[in-house]
Amino acid sequence: MMLGKVIGEVWSTRKSPHFEARKVMLVAALEQDGESLAVTGEVVVALDEIGARPGHIVTVSWGSGARAVLQPPDNRLVLVDAAISRIIDAHSQEIDGRESVVVEE
Amino acid sequence: MFMGRVVGTVWSTAKWESLEGLKFLLIRPYHIADLAPEMLNRPSPFTMLDGVVAADILGAGVGEDVVVAFGHSARVAVEPDLAAGVAPGRPIDAAVVAIVDHFQVDPVVSHPGGDGTRLRQDYTP
Repeated sequence: MMLGKVIGEVWSTRKSPHFEARKVMLVAALEQDGESLAVTGEVVVALDEIGARPGHIVTVSWGSGARAVLQPPDNRLVLVDAAISRIIDAHSQEIDGRESVVVEE
Repeated sequence: MFMGRVVGTVWSTAKWESLEGLKFLLIRPYHIADLAPEMLNRPSPFTMLDGVVAADILGAGVGEDVVVAFGHSARVAVEPDLAAGVAPGRPIDAAVVAIVDHFQVDPVVSHPGGDGTRLRQDYTP
């Protein structure tokens, strides 16, 4: 899974017939940078079924994990390799033996 | 999946037999520096990602923006008539699954505690 920040949305009409009508979001990948999170530069496209909006910190699941988010249990023909699996409320890390918690807006 | 700009076409004659008739495109993925440079909160010398070769059955052309899927999804994408339970037969791992009409970047730039500035930008290729 990847941690990322939703930054936008993509629309298209010419697409694969397997590609179902769902919300397609742009997500900027995040990594730890000291005590905060910073963008890595990579931007991924992920389907959204849980109502993520720009500004939300989310996790993106890949591969059959993404297909399982969208269509469990028989998901072999769902044409998706990335899906938003949760919206993060807060995240924590340990710095010098202390736990530091960041609560998202 | 990722979104990128089609920058070229790839041809080959010596190839796996089942790839016959399949078109391949060279695609440059979008970097955060292209879409929302204000989110780069530290200087980075790398503002380009590696190009990707992807199969295309939708008819995307050079200069268009596309969405590319990897792995099993890509193999399913180039075989739209694939029946359930049948394994895809073409050895590819990236394919164009959508041609982008329009996208919108709307990053909330500030971190918690900031002023929540929104810089909405619309793109229509």
